[in-house]
Amino acid sequence: MTQNGTVVRLSGVRKTFGAHTAVDDFDLEIEPGTIYGLLGPNGSGKTTTIRMMMGILLPDGGAVELFGGAPDFARRSRVGYLPEERGVYEKMKVLDQLVFFGEIRGVARGLARSRAEKWLERLGLSEWASKKVQALSKGMQQKVQFISTVLHDPELLILDEPFSGLDPINQDVLEEIVLEESARGKTILFSTHLMEQAERLCERVCLISRARKVLDDDLKELKRRERSGAVAVEFDGEAPPVATWPGVSEVEEAGDALHLTLGDGARPEEILAKVVTAGVSLRRFELLEPRLHEIFVRHAGEPAEDDAPLKTGGAS
Amino acid sequence: MKQIWSVIRREYVERVKTRAFILSTLGMPLLMIGIMAIVGFVAVLSEQSERQIVLVDQSGQLGERVRQALEQAGYEVELAAAGVDMENLDQQVLDEELEAYIVLDDTTASEAVFAYRGKEPPGSVRSQLMRAAVVEEIVDLRLGQMEDGDSVRRLFEGGALEYEPVGLDEEEAEEAEAERITGMITGIAGGLILYIMMLAYGAQTLQSVLEEKQSRVVELVISSLRPWQLMLGKIVGVGAVGLTQVAIWIACVALLAGLALPSLIAAASDFEELAQFRQYLPGPGAILLLVVFFLLGYFLYSSLFAAVGAMCRNLQEAGQTQAPLIILIIVPFMLQMMTFQGNSMPWMNWVALFPFFSPIMMYPRAVMGDVPTWMVAASIVLMALTVWGAAWVAGRIYKVGILSQGNRPSPRELIRWIREA
Repeated sequence: MTQNGTVVRLSGVRKTFGAHTAVDDFDLEIEPGTIYGLLGPNGSGKTTTIRMMMGILLPDGGAVELFGGAPDFARRSRVGYLPEERGVYEKMKVLDQLVFFGEIRGVARGLARSRAEKWLERLGLSEWASKKVQALSKGMQQKVQFISTVLHDPELLILDEPFSGLDPINQDVLEEIVLEESARGKTILFSTHLMEQAERLCERVCLISRARKVLDDDLKELKRRERSGAVAVEFDGEAPPVATWPGVSEVEEAGDALHLTLGDGARPEEILAKVVTAGVSLRRFELLEPRLHEIFVRHAGEPAEDDAPLKTGGAS
Repeated sequence: MKQIWSVIRREYVERVKTRAFILSTLGMPLLMIGIMAIVGFVAVLSEQSERQIVLVDQSGQLGERVRQALEQAGYEVELAAAGVDMENLDQQVLDEELEAYIVLDDTTASEAVFAYRGKEPPGSVRSQLMRAAVVEEIVDLRLGQMEDGDSVRRLFEGGALEYEPVGLDEEEAEEAEAERITGMITGIAGGLILYIMMLAYGAQTLQSVLEEKQSRVVELVISSLRPWQLMLGKIVGVGAVGLTQVAIWIACVALLAGLALPSLIAAASDFEELAQFRQYLPGPGAILLLVVFFLLGYFLYSSLFAAVGAMCRNLQEAGQTQAPLIILIIVPFMLQMMTFQGNSMPWMNWVALFPFFSPIMMYPRAVMGDVPTWMVAASIVLMALTVWGAAWVAGRIYKVGILSQGNRPSPRELIRWIREA
């Protein structure tokens, strides 16, 4: 699938609820085919931003564009939206519910049914197809809702905290699906407070803290730019006296490895040359990339006390 | 358009499948059939309980008359001579060969007091029947002995008011009377159906809207459907459920009239009078008018109920907010109950023109022929205009309300919603 032009564009968007500013002066552009991560602690304005993209909330200032125009009905129907708060018809049967959502998004009844059945099988829910949704666990309900998000094969997936509430196995399945959909040319925007997930999946990230955008960049680019120059080395046998080497300002033991922080001007290649001439047997030599979490903290500071803590892994 | 169909179908199918719908739909006819069956069963039982009774006549003049009266009331009577051995009869009662026997004496002839001798007192039905038979015969006998007995007898019968329609011959008058009764039955039943439908199914629309808002499903649905489409689909779906229910009820009545009744009459000629009720069934015109009033009334109220559902956050809030609508439905119903008897207050016809009252008040008037045709037509036009206006306002409230998770709007905010939506 080929897409032209920016898929989502926010410019100078602001949203307040009474005295509380939820989103302030927010710019965002999502190019077709990207996997975009909207990152930030709980309460930082991710969901409000997404709800404005979907036309559920109207911004108090600035402009929201979907596929180059106002997020009207026709454009919204090209989006697959998974809201943060799970909305399901609890008393409907799983398959009936999926067919209904497919239908109102313009998929013919029969096709919606066969697609739904395929997805249910893929997500291990086939035997629940004729059960009422309320009989399912929260995690299963979430998978059902994810299916209803993708059933009409939308160009853009907007997923608000898609991984929360899923066990690690299902998180993996969902990650796999996200990557697959991306490979099929879909644009994907998802919000998360799980930095590890974002690190694995995203091509581009946008960090939000306290209603404002802090960073917005290509993830690889960001990491390269934020690289501190630290290296990890691991030796077989006795380690050379790395602390005395020029350019090494600090040494830290991390398990079997040593993490070397390099001083100003020192380059990793020089250290590698030193290792080679030291005549020890080297098991690992690696440029340490900064973790997204560190980058975030560096730019936004530690989350304020009343914010929920930023998590670096695991399910919440 | 296709999407609206999906919404209608979902709303309809999910509702018709619920236990509540099945119970309320089948419950009503079953209840009616049950009551009729019990009445019939009791009648049959009392026939079967026809027992032998021995009648001892010591007065010498009542015996034969009372025997006939009791036999007509369904007893098998053995008339014993005055000199019969009462101890022997008592013994038979004690041996349970005889349930009881009746003794008529001179006091009976003068005061209609008589003895019932048995091991157990008579049941209330039996004592009523027997007393009535005896008293009637004695009164009859005594009146027959009087000079102007016939006149007194007629006084006892309670006299009569004879309606003499001016300007109609007898046949026309009978027809008019039958029509009046038909209109009355149709009007009462139709008014009741409209009342129940607007109240019950209007409230269901509210519930349906509120559920979607509370669970936030609406945010998903609304990304594929325009708000008015969703609202329309909901109202039509819920209304179709209501129509289904009424249709099932009407079918039950028709089935009863067409099948059950003739066989019932064939089985027991006592039910013959029931056959008359068939002639009072409403014609197609009255049913068509009912559908028109149902559609207008239901759309009017359910769109407003939908707006209330969209305004509120939970059922408690909705309970308070819907109060004005409930009052608008209950008031005409009470007014209607007051005026069903005759057309004593012609100004009420003008009240019935008020569109919010029309379904419940104008429909019965129309089928009873209490109002001129132009008034019925005017009320339909007025209602249609009101439905249009209400749908416009409700649609705008709905559009803003379903996505708003904040407090219930104040009247001023509500006006802003309507203006800005």
